[in-house]
This record gives sequence, C-alpha cells and structure tokens, in this order.
Amino acid sequence: MRRNSRHMSTRARFLGGATGALVLLTIGSAAFAADYYFPIVMPITGFMSVEGGSQRNGAVMAFETAKNVSVEYPIFDTGTSAAGAATALDKALSNGKAIAAATTIFGTEMVAMMPVAQDYKVPLLTISGLAKITESGNPYIFRFLPNDREIKVAHARYVKEKLNLQKPALIGDTTAYGQGGFKLLRENFDKLGIKRVFEDSSIAPDTKDMTPLLTKVKESGADSIVLHTVAAPMALIIKQARASGMTIPIITSSSLVEPTATALFDPAELANVCAETPSAPEARATPEMKTWADAYKQRFGIEPDGLALGQYDSVMMALKLISEGAKTAEDLGAALQKATYKGVAMTYKSNGHGDMAHDADIVCWDGKSRVPGIAAHYAGSELVLK
Amino acid sequence: MTFIQLVLSGLALGAAYALVALGFVFIVNATGAVNFAQGDFVMAGGYTAIFLTSTFSIPMVLLLPLVAVITFVMGVFLALIAYFPLMRRPPATVFISTLLCGMILQNLFLIGFGPQAKSGPALLGTGMLRFEGLEISRQSLATIVVAAALIGLQYLIFARTQIGRRLRATAEDRDMAEAVGIPAKKLIAVTFGIGASLAGIAGALLANQYFVSPTGGIPLSVFAYIAVVIGGWGSLAGAVLGSMLISIFQVIVSAYVSYAVATGALYAAVLLIFLVRPQGIFSERVQRRA
Repeated sequence: MRRNSRHMSTRARFLGGATGALVLLTIGSAAFAADYYFPIVMPITGFMSVEGGSQRNGAVMAFETAKNVSVEYPIFDTGTSAAGAATALDKALSNGKAIAAATTIFGTEMVAMMPVAQDYKVPLLTISGLAKITESGNPYIFRFLPNDREIKVAHARYVKEKLNLQKPALIGDTTAYGQGGFKLLRENFDKLGIKRVFEDSSIAPDTKDMTPLLTKVKESGADSIVLHTVAAPMALIIKQARASGMTIPIITSSSLVEPTATALFDPAELANVCAETPSAPEARATPEMKTWADAYKQRFGIEPDGLALGQYDSVMMALKLISEGAKTAEDLGAALQKATYKGVAMTYKSNGHGDMAHDADIVCWDGKSRVPGIAAHYAGSELVLK
Repeated sequence: MTFIQLVLSGLALGAAYALVALGFVFIVNATGAVNFAQGDFVMAGGYTAIFLTSTFSIPMVLLLPLVAVITFVMGVFLALIAYFPLMRRPPATVFISTLLCGMILQNLFLIGFGPQAKSGPALLGTGMLRFEGLEISRQSLATIVVAAALIGLQYLIFARTQIGRRLRATAEDRDMAEAVGIPAKKLIAVTFGIGASLAGIAGALLANQYFVSPTGGIPLSVFAYIAVVIGGWGSLAGAVLGSMLISIFQVIVSAYVSYAVATGALYAAVLLIFLVRPQGIFSERVQRRA
C-alpha cells in the first residue's frame, strides 16, 4: 500500500511536472510566436543558385533588420525549375497563413508561380525581370527590379550612346528570361539604328563549351558582345572569350553583378566588361548604400549586389506597410499598389501593374578589382524608347 | 582555317572527355558494371584542386599528382561501399548503387562548397599560343598534353607490365583469375581507383575554363557513356576515339548550325549506333554489362 502510494506520488509528480512544462511551453510559444508568416521561395540550388542566393540573403537581412514586426520566414528551394517552383510555392502557402512571399528571380519559375499566387490570393514580391509577369493582369505580382522592357533600354542605350559601338554580337540563352531580353534588345537596337553582325539565342543554360559560339563571333567582325543570359553561360562566355584572346567590350545583363559570379574571374579578365543592374550597392555611391553594403558584408561575409538590395527593399517595404496596418494578404496587396516607399536603392511606386522600380545603373569593371564602378544611371523617361 | 581551329578546340575538350571515358571502360572491363558516379569524380577532382590551391598554396607541378592520389582513394572507397557488397547481384544493382553514390557526392559538394560554380586554377597560366594562324589557350594545351601522357601511360601499363596483365586477366574472367592466384578483388579496387583518378585529373584540367558545380558531373557521365557506346564496349582505344568524335562533332555542328542541333544530332547518332552497330566502332570484348 505504501509502495503503491509512493508510486502514485511519483506518477503525480511526473504528471504535474509534464503539465507544468506544457503550460510553460505554450506560454513560451505564444510569447515567441511570430505575428506573420512570410515564406521565401527561391532557387537555392540549380543553375540560378547564384542569383537565388543573393535574393535570399537580401530577404533574410530585411527580416532580421525589421524591428516592429515579428515574422516567421521559412525558406523553400525551387531547384531552378518551373515545376519545382510551383510545388514549393504551393507548399509554402498551403497553411493559409502567408501574408506575402518573397519569390524567385527566375522568370520561368515566376510564370509557374503566378497561378498559385492567384489561387491563394497572396502577393509575391519578386525581382524577376521577365517583362510579361506584370503584363498579364495578375494583381498579386510586385516586381522590385526594373521591368526588362525598361532596363533593356538602358542596356542598349549604353552600347550605342556611351560606348559608341555599332557592330555588336547579340547573344541570349534558351530560358524565358534569356529569350525575353534578347527580343527586347533586338527591338531597342533597331530603334537606335544598330545592326547586329551576329545573333544567337540558342545557348542552353548548361552549355559548357563556348568555343563554337566565340569562333562565330570572331568571324563576324563584331566590335562588342552584348549578352542577356543567366549567370552560368554568361560567366563561361566571358571566361572563355578572355582565355581565347578576345578583348572586345562585353556588356551583360545583371546576373554578372554578383560576388559569387565575379569570384570566378581574375580581375584582369573583367577588364572592358560592363553590366546593367537595378543598383550597385557594392560601389557604395551614397551614404545609405555604404551603410547597407557594409552591414550586408558583415552579415554574409561577401560583397552585396543589386539583386540582394532589390529583394531587401521589397521586404522592407512590405514590413513597413504591415506595421502601418496591412494585417492580411489582401490589405498588403492593396497597400503595395498605392504606396510610395523610399528604399536604400531607389524610390519604389507601382505603375498600376506591379512594376515598382524604375531606375537602372550600368556598372563597369576596371580590370584591377572585382568590385565595379557606376558608369551610367538611367531613370524614368530615359528608360523608354520610342 | 576556321575548320581546323574548331577541330583543335574540339581536341582539347575531347582529351578531357577521353580521360573520363577511359576510367569508365576500366571499370566496365574489370567488373562488367557501369559506374555512373564517374562524372561526379570529375567534379571531385575539380573541387580537390580548388581546395588544395586555395588552402595550401600547392605548386602547380604537384597539384595533378595530389588530385590523382586523393581521387584514387575515393575510387577505392566507392568500390568498397558500392561494388563489393553487391557484386553477386545483377549488374543493374551496381549501376544503381554507383548512381546513388554519385548523388551523395553531389550533396557533399553542395554542403562543402555551396551551390555556386567555382573556377579552378590555370595549370599553365592564362594567355594564348599561336602557330601558323592557329591559336590555342595555354590551359587547353595543358589538357591535351596531360591527357595524351596519361593515355600513353595506361597503354604501357596494361600492355607491358605484370600488373597490367593481371588487371586484364581479372577483366576477362574474375573467377578464373582468382583460381590461378591473382588477387582479383584488390585489382578491382585498384581499377576503381584508377578510373576515379583519371576522372579527377580531367576535373582539375577542366575546372579553370569550364568551372565545377555540384551537379556538373551528370552530363559528363552521360558523355562518357555515349563515348563508350560509340567507341565500343570494353575498348580502351574506342573510348578515346569516341570521346574525340563526340567533342569534335559537337564543336563543329554547334559552330556551323547551332547548339540545339548539335545536341539533338548527337543523341540521334547514338540511337542510330544502337540500331545499326550496337557493338560500337571497335568490337566488344566484354559481354557482361549493365
């Protein structure tokens, strides 16, 4: 009996302790539970991992910086594929808690994600440049990078007006991003009266040997190479062009302006290379940029880039609107359509279609450093060609 | 002249492919099984070269031998975990086990080096060499010279040395080789090591101009397989020839038509070979394969 009583006492103590722990855990969870759920859905692996890694860093930094809003921000990998992107976003939004999602830079993936966003009615904050994602009437897409339709104007104008080049070789890749930008550059070169001496938009993103391409470029007598591709083939084209003795100017799309991409080169190989980019925080041209770039470098141990900053600004704008009263995904979508926000890179305001950014820089490398300098800035009407 | 220049460029890449395909054939010959981790050993070689040069400032003259030794050990380890425990099972089991080991390697690369591509050291420095209107980069020349030397060396080892004869005997009939006192299992482990080592050296040679990435070995495994199909199963000369043909074909068709046509035509050609001459250019010496 006594033994039984002692046994009961032990069990009661155990149950009491467990109940107490459960209560404490519940209180703790409540105390530390995030107020909002804001998933990050990006290509962390695959051939867009360079770009995806940058934008993920930017988003993470924004969430870590935010002071007034408590946010849970799980990261989902799209694997750089359309199917992977749609599945990852569906998984991210399926609990019905998301107020918004920070999503992929890769246009092909964004196209796959758009119906998912519409189903869940959740705003997606992206830095994808693919023009058509904000031209298809989906009210849940917000782009914090200039539309390719605008930034390709800066790209083409710099070739013509600043470098005075007349015979570019125009190269694109087979992704939706590559095809879209290639077409826009052709149109812009036509408007500027520039005839391409060579064109190729059949470069698959996993192509390794660029010798045939570069041989044709050499034969064409091109005075420059204009690239609009994702990072992987772009880096290989530049690397192999310089290794084969080609020193002509190379003007690329923004994928090159990332420290993980420039780390593939000796600084000398980047001489005479320029790129368009929404912003160039690594150049630290303003005090705000310098402060942000230094903080980024301290946080991640690498130089920042315009993609990271674009995603940072996008999340910071959303968090500001949330702190000002946007409590649901619907509220936030409506607020993003109307608000003006001064970010670190630029001032953002929707054009009515979800295009929030309307500034572009051209940066160039001097052959001595992997950090580029700003060579030109385009904004507003300068990004329109008639 | 452009055509000859393209052939020269194709030779450089083909030389590296040949090393990968040779290792592939060694293992096919010794075990009758296909090693689909071969392309991942190319990446392992590239990553090893990057790690050694960035961490220890290894002189270039020592780099390739060190990469060869490290990837040799990895190849032996592959034999221990993916081949010997399954050697009495159907060949497809070994094929799957090497594929799985390749995936494990890819994820180890991802954890150790991150998802982004990396550039390896240039063995002969950068810049071009020019001769009679033709030009070749120093790195491409290094690839051709090293590959030619290794292909010649493996020929000498297999044709003129006792260990080469034992390796061939093991490849012909493992059970009979064991019956006459040849340590067949040890030799099979060595064969896995040599195969991985050749792939690793190819990786160190390619890493500068073609970069390495966690999943970059997958197409190389496919290329090695195609080279062996074209050249002939079990034929070392066929593996070299098949690699050269693939590389030169791709360079020339890409240059004169397009990349998309080159890739499509290559796979169509392989299909045609399966239908018309399944034994490849050189006749098959080993029948049992995955």
